[in-house]
This record gives sequence, structure tokens and C-alpha cells, in this order.
Amino acid sequence: MFQNKWIKQIQAGDQEAFRQFYEAYSEYAIRTASAITRNREMAKDAVQETFIRVYRNIAKYNPTLPFNSWFYRILTNECLRLLKKNSIYSKFEHPNLENEPSIEDTFIPQTSDLYEEIQALDDAHRIPLILKYLKGFSEKEIAEILELNQNTVKSRLFQGRKRLKHQLDSTEKEDETL
Amino acid sequence: MSNFDNRVKEELHVQTEKHTQKMKDEIWNELEQELFTNKRYKGESNKLKKRKRGKAIVWLIASAAILIMFSLQTKTGQALKSEIKDLFVPEKEVIQNIEGNDEKTEVQLNEGSNSEYVIYVDEERYKLTKGEESDIISSIIPPPKNFPEVTMEIKQVVNEKPEDLILKIEAELKKEFPELQAIEEVTEPVTGYLLHGAAGLEPESNIVHTYVISNGKEGSFVIMQKYFLLAAEGHGARFYRMLETFEIIE
Repeated sequence: MFQNKWIKQIQAGDQEAFRQFYEAYSEYAIRTASAITRNREMAKDAVQETFIRVYRNIAKYNPTLPFNSWFYRILTNECLRLLKKNSIYSKFEHPNLENEPSIEDTFIPQTSDLYEEIQALDDAHRIPLILKYLKGFSEKEIAEILELNQNTVKSRLFQGRKRLKHQLDSTEKEDETL
Repeated sequence: MSNFDNRVKEELHVQTEKHTQKMKDEIWNELEQELFTNKRYKGESNKLKKRKRGKAIVWLIASAAILIMFSLQTKTGQALKSEIKDLFVPEKEVIQNIEGNDEKTEVQLNEGSNSEYVIYVDEERYKLTKGEESDIISSIIPPPKNFPEVTMEIKQVVNEKPEDLILKIEAELKKEFPELQAIEEVTEPVTGYLLHGAAGLEPESNIVHTYVISNGKEGSFVIMQKYFLLAAEGHGARFYRMLETFEIIE
């Protein structure tokens, strides 16, 4: 397994191994963080912090948890932390933020109905869906990443898909009547 | 995969495609700067110092233990506990990593009820309140409106061993935290059992983080941390560092 080789080399301080690991993991880390945070700068910070944490804490990695799950748990937690930090700041420290240009405007300029519907879901349903459809994680892996029971993940994915389908059907019907 | 699944998959891929390569390069440049410039070597030397300091602390504790053994032959009870407490410096500076940044913090020695333990508390942010059944370290700054209180409760249960007590606590916590994680054996920040649960994914969702450790005799200490999801890397990290300084006075 490449991962095991990288882990040992990174633990030994091998910069080239870390670079190879970054090449292999960064694209989907960026995509996942972008989808979760819906903000370019926040996604960038989350991914950067995740790689720093992995580099500095690789010695603490416990191989009983699959490496991908460990990595994406750090990434997801970091995204949530930044997202919530931002929402708290906007709620408690910057009450006038709503009058300023939205930070979301600085990211993806054009979105589709489907993407908007995905992003309109609450985090409990939205994040498992992103992990499933973007990186192709299994229910078991999503449960490990989000530290949830596998049945909970199954139910959230089911509910999320159901809501998404319902929303999408309603939107499409509205479009047809116009 | 159904058509719907394929649409969702494709949509997520298309929408997250933009800027990916540019971001990849930008992040790598930042990482190189952060991890592989001179700063890195400074960081490593700090770690080395910390390790050396760690060894010094181990020696100090070992020396203290020998001293205690000699003292046991001549003194007993409260007076002895008081002497043991005096072996710890009243105040020290620690470096803790909070939300990714190293932070220097002054911590003060606090003594638990009946001098059963000592712990260093960051008194700028927390206070220790002694109670009849348990002691509570709580945040001085109140949490935002509608957010739960931030506390670390320390309680001694003299007649129950950790392996039995943890099962009872697990059953109790499951009522409030249905998705409580399985019991985990840990060696850091204390050696014992850990139960962790989150009551949701919202910023204000309750988090419980409970350690059950041996009291060195036939009983246990239960250390129950309560905070909210958003505070996991703030209060959660500070509680972790505080708990690293927890010492039972036997």
C-alpha cells in the first residue's frame, strides 16, 4: 500500500514523500472542502490546516482507523470549525455582515439548481451526501469520518436523497408551468 | 447507480472543478513555507526542548515519588498531602496549541477537595469550584446565548473500579447522546477509559468527553468535560492540556 509507505517516510521527515502524498490527496481534499464550506478562502484554509496537522501528527495516526477516514475526519472537522467560526462571528461580532457583499459571492459564480438544492440541505444531510458522491465514500467510511453510527449515516443519506429529489421535482414542475 | 445518483455525482464534480489546480499550487506554496523553511527547524528544536523538559518532569515526579515513600514512614494524613502538594510549583507557563496556533499560557496550581489531587488551571479563563460531591472547573467567560455551559467536573468514586464504573456511565450518557462512541482505552492525557459523544452537528450541539481513571486504590476518578461542538478545538484543547497536569495525591 502506497499509504503505508508514505506514512513511514513522512514520519521519518521525508519531504519528497510528503509532496507525493499532497499530490495524491490534495485535489479531492480541495473539492470536498469547497463543497462543504462553499467558500474558496475557507476551503483553502481548511485544506492547508489539514495537511499541516497530518504532517505534524502523523506519528499519532492509529492504523486501526483507515487512513482515508482519518484524513477526511481531520478535513471535515476543520471545514466545520471554520464554517461555524465564521457563522458565529457573523452572528455575534459582525451583526451588519448581511449588508456587506456575501462571502459566497467570492466563490463559484454560477451554480445549477441541483447544486443549490444540495447546498440548501442542512449540514447533517448535506455533508454525508458530499462525501458519498464526491469522493465515493461508503456508508461505513462516512460513519468513521463523521464519528457517527453507520445506521445514522444510512438514514441521513436516505433522507438527504429523498429531500433532494423532492425539491428538485418541485423546482422542475415550477419551471414547466412557467 | 441510478440516473439521479449520477446527476448528483456529476454536479458535485463540475461545481468543485473550478480553481482546483490554482488552489492546489497556492496551498502547496503555503505548506512549504510553513513546514519546510527555517521555521520548521525552529519548530523541531522547540519540540526537542519540550521533550527534554518532559524528561525533566518525569525525573522530578520520580524524585517526588521517592521522597513521598520516605515521608510515608514518618507522616500521615492531611499534613503529608499538603507536603506533597508543595512539591509542585504554584504557577508555571505552558505552551498549548489552540486552533492551530501555539499559545503561551500561565497556569496556576489548584488543589481538589480534601487534597485528593492537584491540577494546573488557566485562571485567566477558568475557575475551580470545590463541591461536596465533585469539583467543577468552569469557563469564566459565559458562552454565547443559547450555547451550553463549558465545564470539566472532577469527581472521585471511592468504591467502584474504572472498568465497572465506565459501563454505568456509558448507559447513562447514551440517554442524552444516542450516538455515543464506544468505550476507548487511552493513555493520554490520562490513563483510563474514554467516552465521547456529540449530540449533533450544529455549532451549539452538546459534546461530552468523559474519562474514568483509577484513583490508585479500589476506586475511580470521573472527569467529565462538557462543551459545544464549536468549542471543541478551543475549550476542548484547553481541557486536554489542563488534564495533562492532573496528579492524584495518594
